[in-house]
Formats: sequence, structure tokens, C-alpha cells
Amino acid sequence: MEGSSTPLTQNSSTFAIGIHPNDQLPSCFLVAGWEDALDRGDPFESALSSMVSSPVAPPLAAGEGDDAVMIRELIGRLGSICDSGQTSPGSYNNSAANTSCYNTPLNSPPKLSLSMADQHVRGGGGGGGFPAPGCHFPGHPPFVPVMADPGFAHRAARFSSFGARNVNVANLNSGLGLNASEFPGKQGNMLDSGRFCRVPSSRSLKANDGSQICVQGNDRIFLQSGISASTPENGEMGDSREGSSISDQVAHGEMHARGQIDVNSRKRKSIPKGKARESVASPQSAKDSEVATENEEQMTKKIKPAEADGNEKDTVNGDQKQSKESSKPPEPPKDYIHVRARRGQATDSHSLAERVRREKISQKMKALQDLVPGCNKVTGKAMMLDEIINYVQSLQRQVEFLSMKMATLNPRMDFNLEAFLSKDILHPRGPLPDSLYPVDSSGSMSYGYEPRQGLMPMLSVVSSNMDTQFPADLLNSGIHRNASLNLPVMDNYGEAPAPGQALWEDDLQSVVQMGLGQNESHRIEQGSLDAGQMKIEL
Amino acid sequence: MKNPQRSPTNPGSVRSRFTQVFLQSLLRIRKHSPASSSSSSSLGEFLKRCHRVKVAAYVSMARAAGTRRAWSRAMLWRVRHDAHRHRLLQGRCSRSSSRERSPGKKKRRTKKKKKRRDDQEHGFGNAEKLQKLVPGGEAMDFSCLLDETAHYIKCLVTQVKVMRSIADFYSL
Repeated sequence: MEGSSTPLTQNSSTFAIGIHPNDQLPSCFLVAGWEDALDRGDPFESALSSMVSSPVAPPLAAGEGDDAVMIRELIGRLGSICDSGQTSPGSYNNSAANTSCYNTPLNSPPKLSLSMADQHVRGGGGGGGFPAPGCHFPGHPPFVPVMADPGFAHRAARFSSFGARNVNVANLNSGLGLNASEFPGKQGNMLDSGRFCRVPSSRSLKANDGSQICVQGNDRIFLQSGISASTPENGEMGDSREGSSISDQVAHGEMHARGQIDVNSRKRKSIPKGKARESVASPQSAKDSEVATENEEQMTKKIKPAEADGNEKDTVNGDQKQSKESSKPPEPPKDYIHVRARRGQATDSHSLAERVRREKISQKMKALQDLVPGCNKVTGKAMMLDEIINYVQSLQRQVEFLSMKMATLNPRMDFNLEAFLSKDILHPRGPLPDSLYPVDSSGSMSYGYEPRQGLMPMLSVVSSNMDTQFPADLLNSGIHRNASLNLPVMDNYGEAPAPGQALWEDDLQSVVQMGLGQNESHRIEQGSLDAGQMKIEL
Repeated sequence: MKNPQRSPTNPGSVRSRFTQVFLQSLLRIRKHSPASSSSSSSLGEFLKRCHRVKVAAYVSMARAAGTRRAWSRAMLWRVRHDAHRHRLLQGRCSRSSSRERSPGKKKRRTKKKKKRRDDQEHGFGNAEKLQKLVPGGEAMDFSCLLDETAHYIKCLVTQVKVMRSIADFYSL
């Protein structure tokens, strides 16, 4: 309870006092002792609750809603009345009279009591016009005995449920106590007029001027715009209520809830921003999507279902933040998945994927460059690819040639696997020349081989030559290619080698003079056998 | 005899495996080849044997490389298919059996289709050639093609080395 709400305290005290008819309260209605009532708000509340817990008539529950509302309104009015200096002179005079008949309303049936209560409120409103400082209640008698009316007790308990509304309750009771006598004739008015304004918080009432409060017989005046102007706290709670002042009688809870909603909306608006930032951070920190825009999209997806208020704004902010963060750090793509757009580059998903692809291809091209000899000097992907193609072709030709050689060797082979393996595999002979293949003109090649078959010696020679001679340059040159291309493939078996010679280039003719079919011979020539070496006759 | 290094891309392991398989195949060929000492053994026979040796070399290489590589799988498949087709040409098998080789045909179809798409890659012209060179290269995109090419080159180099060593060993 705000200590500043002195009149509220007064109201509360009046309420308490009003409840206690036996006390000589008329002069004490507006008593500074209301502060005490405020202090005792809790005990008052507890008292009320105890009263409620007491065997209160359950049938009151049916009409309780309206009654509670009206009572709340009355309390509010009381509070406002007390705040304002406005007083209905008559009410004051009647205060004493009211007290006397205070019991009756309390003892009357709930509805009546409510009407009485309303009237009392009005009276209290008038009485509330009493100078607040002037009013001072004596020490409140315990409120418990006052609640003779079970319905009243129930309502009072309801009122007490509202934190600040204890004051309202007090106000109400003060009104009750004040103008009990005035109201009997006006019972119906308050009751029937369902246009009781909601009872704003006591604080709102407190700020009201008396002019607003002079409610006697006029409910509408009760909650006027002036009420809403009051404290900032009221702005929170009271705005929603006051906006619906006249029209709402429905549960106070609605207004309260609305106020809560307003508060919550504000809170929630702050929350989504935080969440947006969190979601922005999370995808970045935890996992960078392949595309920055994808990150943004993910963020929006996360945010939207999370919050309903201000989502778009937050996501926009988040997106902007995301895009900035994504575009700033020029991080290279670490992985196929974790890719971030570099600074100054397009953040389109397609472009990012394309960039990733290109970088992968470039990496592989570099790896190939290490494999393929002679690629170091070549730059550019097209040239690299050409080199790679040539190299693969040369390797394949070598394999064919070697297979051919083995075919000739096959009958002669006595496979001593162990020896062979131990000897050759572990210590492979003949390093494959990775450098350019100089044509070795060493003629001391296996001339001693007995030509069991026309091919074998040549094969051996060729193989020995091929150990060191793989002319990439020759391969690159059109000579070999042309020769190889021109040669028929595996068709002219029966031809003598001599005719095949015609197909060879000059440097290859010697190679061809072996009786090999053109097919193999042109492959053999690829080994760039020196002309002088291959002069082997069948 | 297995090399302790299990990596198929490790030339040492590949080499040892290839050597082993290849020699075995050579032995097989030798047994199957007609024992002829005459030089008149036609070139046809010789060429056939050469072809067999070559095929054996490639098959052994593919096996040594392992089926993890696309090119090795493609090579094995191609050899199988070519052998089958060869038999078809010889009239041994009916045409129905050729239809059983649907996966092969599918592969060829996919090769044609993929070729067009790879044209969009940079170096498109050369990519086609490379696809033809590398077994099974037509059925993959450019980046995979480069990977396969790299591995294929490694294996080819190993193969050539081994074969040369064998040839030298026995030619001496």
C-alpha cells in the first residue's frame, strides 16, 4: 500500500469503521487513522478472508459478481471522494445517521446490502469530501465483528484480494458507513444501474479530483478521463480499465488482465528482441548455414513462432544484424556446410554454393597438379586439364604396352613369385620419369634378346627404354598422337611389320620394325623409343 | 600378402595388392594361352594374349584399388560387360542375356546425360575427354571427376611401375 495514499488509508479506515456500526464513527470516517488501516491492510485482509472463510452463505456466489463489481466501484468512489475535497454537505451530516443504520444494510440480504453499500459509498463519497486530514478514525475496532453479513464479508474478501483494493474496500465501507442513511432511497439506483464503473485502483482514485467523484446518483461521472490521468502506475493498470470504465462491469479481472497484458506486451516486446539476438547468435556460433540469407531465414523462422508481438521488427533487426555479421568476417569456408559469405561478396545461396564448389574444384586441381608431372609450369584450369588428360592417356598407353610385353613374356615366364616380389616390389626398378621424357638414344638396348617372337625383344628394349623415357613433350606434340590415331586398332594382325612401318613417323619407324601389329606398335612408340634402338628385325 | 597399410590410396598397399593379383592373373593367362613356341603364332593369338594381359592388369588394378573408387567399379563393370558382349558377339549367349545387363545400359545412358551437364563446368571441353579416359567418369560431376582422376592416376602409375618391373624381371 502506498503510504502516500493517505486518503486511501482513510478510506480503508472508514471502511473498517463503517463495518463496525457500533462505533461512533461519523466523525471518524475520514480519519487519519486510515493510515493505520492501510498498515493493517494485511490484517484487514486476513480478517476479511477469515470472515469469508466463516460460514458465509454460498448462495451469494451467484450474485456475487455483480455485487463485487459494484462494491468495488463504490470503494473506488470512496477513495476518490476522500481524495477530493469535495464533500456533499448533506452526506456529512448524514454520516452520523448513516452509521446508525449501518447495521441494517449489513444485515440485509446481500443485494440490499450491496445497494446499501453503494449508497454508503455515495454517502461516503459525500463524506469523503470531508477534509481528509480532518477525518481520523479512532483505532479501528476489529473488523471481524462487522462482517455480520456473510455476503458482505464475501465481497469484502473479494475486494481484499486486490492488493490495492483493500483501500477500495475501505473506501467502500467508508462510504457505507458515511452515507448509510442517505442511500436507502437510492438503493435501486446503484444496483440497477449496471453501469458501475470499474473500481480503478485506489491510486487512480487518489489522483482524482472531487469533481469527478461526485457520483451521487451518477455512475458515469465516476471514472472520467481525469481518473486516468493519474499516476503512471495507473497508466499501467488504470488505462485499460478507465477506457472501459463505463461500459465494463464485467469481471474486474478482465481489466486487470488487460493491464497485465499491456505489461506483458511490453515485457514480451523486450523478450523477442533478446530472443532474436539469441537466435541470431546461435546459428552463427553454433552452426553457420551455407548461406547468410539462409541464416536469416532460419532466424525468422525461429523467432516468429516464438513470439507474437513485434516479431517482424525484431526479425528485421535480427536480420540486419545477421547480415552484417555474416558479411563482415571474411572467413573462408571451412567445410561444405559451414560457409559464410565473405565481405563484399554476394550472399545469395546459389552464389555461395557456387563459390564453395569452385573452391573445391580448385583444391582438387592443385592436388592433381602434384600428381601430374610438368603441371607446375602450366597455369590455368584449361591447360591443367589438358595436361592431366595427356598424362592419363600416356599412362594408359604404357599399361597397354606393358601388357603386350608381358604377353610376349608370358610363355617364358617362370613365375618365381617370391623372388620376384621380394625383389621387384620392394625395390621397384626403373623410376617412372616424372620429368619430361628425354628420348634416350642409348642404343645398348637389349639387342641380345633372342627374338622368340617378333615382339619380345622389342618389347624388352622398349620396356627398358621406357623406363626412362616418357616424353611428355612428344605426347604433347601432335606426332605421336597422329601416329596413334592413324594406326588401325588391332585389326591388321596379319600384316607384316614392314607395311606397318609406313605408318610410323621417322623417329618411330625403328620402333615399328618389329613385326608388331600397328596397334601395339603405335603404342610402343609412345614410349618415345629412340630410333636407333629399335632396329630389331623379326 | 597384405600390406599393413590398408589405405587404398596408399601406393604401397595398392602396389602390393596389384602385384599380387596381377601376377596371379598372368599365371592364369599363361596357363590358358596355347603353348606355342613357334613364332608363327599368329599375332592374333599374341594380341589376344596382350589383350588379356591388359585386361588382367586393369582388373587387378581395379581390384587392388578397391571398390570404393568409382573408377575401379566402373572398370570392373566394363570389363565384365565387354566380356559378356564379346561372348554375345561370338554368339554364345542369346540376346536376352544382354538385356539382363540393364545396369550397364543405364550407366551408359547416364553417361550421355551427365555429359551435357558437365559442359557447364569450367573446362568443359576437357572434362569430356577426361570423362572418357577415366572409367566411369561420365557419370559424375566435375569435382568427383577430379577426385577420381587423381586416384586413377595414382593407380595407373603404380600399375605401370609394377608391370614394368615384372616385364623387366622376366625379360632379363
